[in-house]
Amino acid sequence: MINFKFILDSVPAILGAVPVTLMLALISAPIGWGLGLIIALIRRAKTPVLSQILQIFVSFMRGVPLMILLYISYYALPILVHNYGLEIGIEIDVTVIPAALYAIIAFILEQAAYSSEIFRSSIEAVNEGQMEAALSIGMTKPQALLRIVFPQALAIAIPNLGGLFLGLVKGTSLAYYVGVCEITAQANLLALPAFNFIEAYIMTTAIYELISIVSNKLFGKFETRLHKFRIGVAV
Amino acid sequence: MQKESLLSILLTYAPKILEAFSTTMYILLIALAISLILGALIAISSLSKKKFLNRFAKGYISFIRGIPTLILIFLIYLGLPQMLKNAGIIVKVSTITYIVVCLGISTSANMAEMMRTSYLSVDKGQREAAQSIGMKDFTAFRRIVFPQAFGTAIPTIGNNIIILFKETSLAFTVGVLDMLGKARAISAASFGANRLELYMVTGIIFWIICVIFETSFKYIEKIYTKGRKQSTS
Repeated sequence: MINFKFILDSVPAILGAVPVTLMLALISAPIGWGLGLIIALIRRAKTPVLSQILQIFVSFMRGVPLMILLYISYYALPILVHNYGLEIGIEIDVTVIPAALYAIIAFILEQAAYSSEIFRSSIEAVNEGQMEAALSIGMTKPQALLRIVFPQALAIAIPNLGGLFLGLVKGTSLAYYVGVCEITAQANLLALPAFNFIEAYIMTTAIYELISIVSNKLFGKFETRLHKFRIGVAV
Repeated sequence: MQKESLLSILLTYAPKILEAFSTTMYILLIALAISLILGALIAISSLSKKKFLNRFAKGYISFIRGIPTLILIFLIYLGLPQMLKNAGIIVKVSTITYIVVCLGISTSANMAEMMRTSYLSVDKGQREAAQSIGMKDFTAFRRIVFPQAFGTAIPTIGNNIIILFKETSLAFTVGVLDMLGKARAISAASFGANRLELYMVTGIIFWIICVIFETSFKYIEKIYTKGRKQSTS
């Protein structure tokens, strides 16, 4: 019923695509979260205009399915790049830009929006007295944020960030539709000649489950390490 | 590409895409029902005192959370018929059934977690008090625990429904003409000339519906929890 020979034969090919998936996730997550932190701080500071624009951006990114974001990024960015090239007077050949880049940009923007909400709520969850106490002993505001508020906020944010990262890894499977050859695309490619779909997807499932278990373990470890910062948090 | 205003693009394409709105809603509602039923079963087994059921529920939740919905769809849509065919069974069900079942399964894990945590958020004393005045287990659940748990669960249910709604866009992967599928079909009919506009319009439609969902869930929560003692601090 299940072609085990096919599974054994195609393990190396599928494993070869794992780095692509991991690369998509591991590049998008840090950049996206960095942007998310900046968005959270700007929205917290209630900077006029910018704060409202970011609010709309976050709402849009959270309201549009990832698949559509990928499509928009995949079809719009080449046009934008091309037009920009024409403006500064050079003909840019957009076909040389790898599809993975468009996918990464879509992932980064999505992660930025979601993580900004996580950061905002976790910064808010840190007791206000912490900030006041830090200021009262003579710390400057950036110092107080960096040394007192952020570590505590991070401890609160980590579980949610872990979930977000897992969502990102799962989301990278959609990059298949914009022509990135990651695990899902590789599985389809291998399955097509002899219609070995069930075998290919069982392998894919196993790989994704493995990635999710490892990432859960890592975030769990990180959470326990940051646990010391949770002492002062009023829950 | 000639410049057109966003509004005129929206007005040209939105009606065509919205023709598939009922399909998307159909998928959403049926998948939601499946996920709630499955989720309730899983939540019950995760709360039960039997170790075996506990383990099963835990394993199910972490398995479903680890598998991308797209892979689940492929597994069930492409893999299952193949496996059944090899076993001599030929199934003939519409593609929309596949997508509804897949989305139902993938959301059920979140729903189960939601039910479990909101059940646990209700103070144990409430149930004990209900029992002490002679209520049966089920009556205590229906009249005392459930109304309180539901209040705390509303935001999470809302979130899960929004996630599910966005995932209905994956229906196009099996060829169902939901909103995104419709957009793809229109773009294919014009050989991809207006695909960017179509995807943007589809995105905006999804966004607007999501915002409507969000506001209505906030409103429901406000009405429901008004005058009710919140069970969580």
